[in-house]
Amino acid sequence: MPPFDKVQPQNKPFKQRKSLATRKQEVAGIRSKFPNKIPVIIERYDREKYLPPLDKTKFLVPHELTVTQFVTIIRNRMALLPTQAFYLLVNRSGLTSMSLTMAQVYKDHQDEDGFLYMTYASQEMFGH
Amino acid sequence: MNSVSPTTAQYVGVVMQDELLESQRQQRMERQSSLGLRPPQTPDPSREAPGEPDEMDKLKAKLMSAWNNVKYGWTVKSKTSFNKISPVTVMGHCFLLNSEDEVERFRLAFVSRIWLTYRKDFPQLEGSTWTTDCGWGCMLRSGQMLLAQGLLVHLMPKDWAWPDAQQLTDVDFEVFRPRSPVRAGGVPIPSFSSPRGSNTPEKTLPSDHGLKCSQRKRPESARDRQAESIHHKLITWFGDQPSAPFGVHQLVEIGKSSGKKAGDWYGPSVVAHILRKAVARASVVQNLAVYVAQDCTVYKDDVVHLCDTSPKKTPPDPLSQAWKSVIILVPVRLGGEALNPSYIECVKNILKLDCCIGIIGGKPKHSLFFIGFQDEQLLYLDPHYCQNVVDVTQGNFSPESFHCTSPKKMPFSRMDPSCTIGFYAQNKKDFESLCSAVSVALSSSKEKYPIFTFVEGKGQDYGLDSQSTNHSGPAAHILPLGQWCRSNNRSNSDEFVFL
Repeated sequence: MPPFDKVQPQNKPFKQRKSLATRKQEVAGIRSKFPNKIPVIIERYDREKYLPPLDKTKFLVPHELTVTQFVTIIRNRMALLPTQAFYLLVNRSGLTSMSLTMAQVYKDHQDEDGFLYMTYASQEMFGH
Repeated sequence: MNSVSPTTAQYVGVVMQDELLESQRQQRMERQSSLGLRPPQTPDPSREAPGEPDEMDKLKAKLMSAWNNVKYGWTVKSKTSFNKISPVTVMGHCFLLNSEDEVERFRLAFVSRIWLTYRKDFPQLEGSTWTTDCGWGCMLRSGQMLLAQGLLVHLMPKDWAWPDAQQLTDVDFEVFRPRSPVRAGGVPIPSFSSPRGSNTPEKTLPSDHGLKCSQRKRPESARDRQAESIHHKLITWFGDQPSAPFGVHQLVEIGKSSGKKAGDWYGPSVVAHILRKAVARASVVQNLAVYVAQDCTVYKDDVVHLCDTSPKKTPPDPLSQAWKSVIILVPVRLGGEALNPSYIECVKNILKLDCCIGIIGGKPKHSLFFIGFQDEQLLYLDPHYCQNVVDVTQGNFSPESFHCTSPKKMPFSRMDPSCTIGFYAQNKKDFESLCSAVSVALSSSKEKYPIFTFVEGKGQDYGLDSQSTNHSGPAAHILPLGQWCRSNNRSNSDEFVFL
């Protein structure tokens, strides 16, 4: 029944694929090249059944981009209908506020490695 | 301890009666069809031609529905305890259950809510073999209850209570405990004159006259009578038949454009959009619109655009009643796997608001309609009780099975993070105060950011409505897996995407 049960086995979360040192290095490298961009990791909630996986996980976003704009970009990449549920969670548990800029979210929630981690999910279905 | 409560006995009675009803129903339908009143819409296994391609499906549906009847029809109910120290909140109303008066007020507030549950033996859902929603339709039922609550607030006198509300069952109030340790002396054991769902309709033509209220035989004011008439009519809109504007048949039909079909599981966001379309389509409720927030944002100008029906004349006439009432639905996800505990306070504060008409959500996989809370427990109406269909086209149908007498509670910690929060605003002024009251409630979140926000201006044009009604391509929003696998090439997925 779940349309995406054949999820690629190598799809371990980004954090588990690379050591802290490697990740820090990566952030340092990209930040020195692009100081006006924020490094964001966006991954699918591991139990997500309805939204497709994204082809990319690493994004460099401008400081002034709002969360609304960011969500629109991601929604478009997945070709979602506007009425389809899509939520971005920061650190896997808190909703992001749409009117904030990515710089604000980054300031509040960046990881020790320098990335901002976001998870996307739709809603659960009910039937029993 | 009394091991078999009267209610339990009653439920058992209903189950046993089902078989009897089954044969009655069959006879009834034969009578009907011979009179040419209405073709039988429920599949009858004895008449099926053997070897029909969907016979397996029918058999499966039959078995499923039989199982669900056992599962949801025969439950031994446990008691719900209410303490007298903490107030019980029910959508903006507060009850401190330390006196009989308060318990009485709470009873009226609780029992007067419209309760919609699984039903069986209703006319077949078009394009399927389903004649029941037992085991799959609970989120639709929760959605119906949310809409029904909105409609009660919209149409009924303020703080209306159902005059025929029965006594509460399966409850334990601390206030009465000293008198009896088992069953409270002050709470009478319920007596149901007729068991639930046994509304065996005697045949009359289904007619519009049926929608008019039945006259009751007790003294009442004209105002009461009028309210009762609306109450009755409101229930008929949720009847389990294709013509009911907010019935399961209609909702399933509307859901097809979102890739859903009868028998599927529904989510709180999908149901929010189904309700929006159902209200927009319905001719029975004038002057009411439903707005569904997208991406946790209520765009105030979009709500105004939806509600302001004044002709585009200048200067606008401030006295004209050119403002639709609005139900605002906000689908949210309050955490990943489990409810993020930082949101509990905020959910409580929302349920304390007058303008809140409840939350559709549930425990994981199990939908419930949340209407309030006490301490760390949510108060809910549970659709998981399989009742026989009631023919609401009968003018004198009993509204009894559409009201619940046993309040239930569950801990906030078990709440599924996926839910849709409902609000109602009667007029423009109401909407303004709703925005500020809800914003205050939202700021109580212990999380850094609120659950959702009100934003001045219009949402970006996502084509919110224009695309959503195309019927072609079911589940168009789910991309074929192959495409994604192909593009999901690991060699380049490690590069940054520049925005």
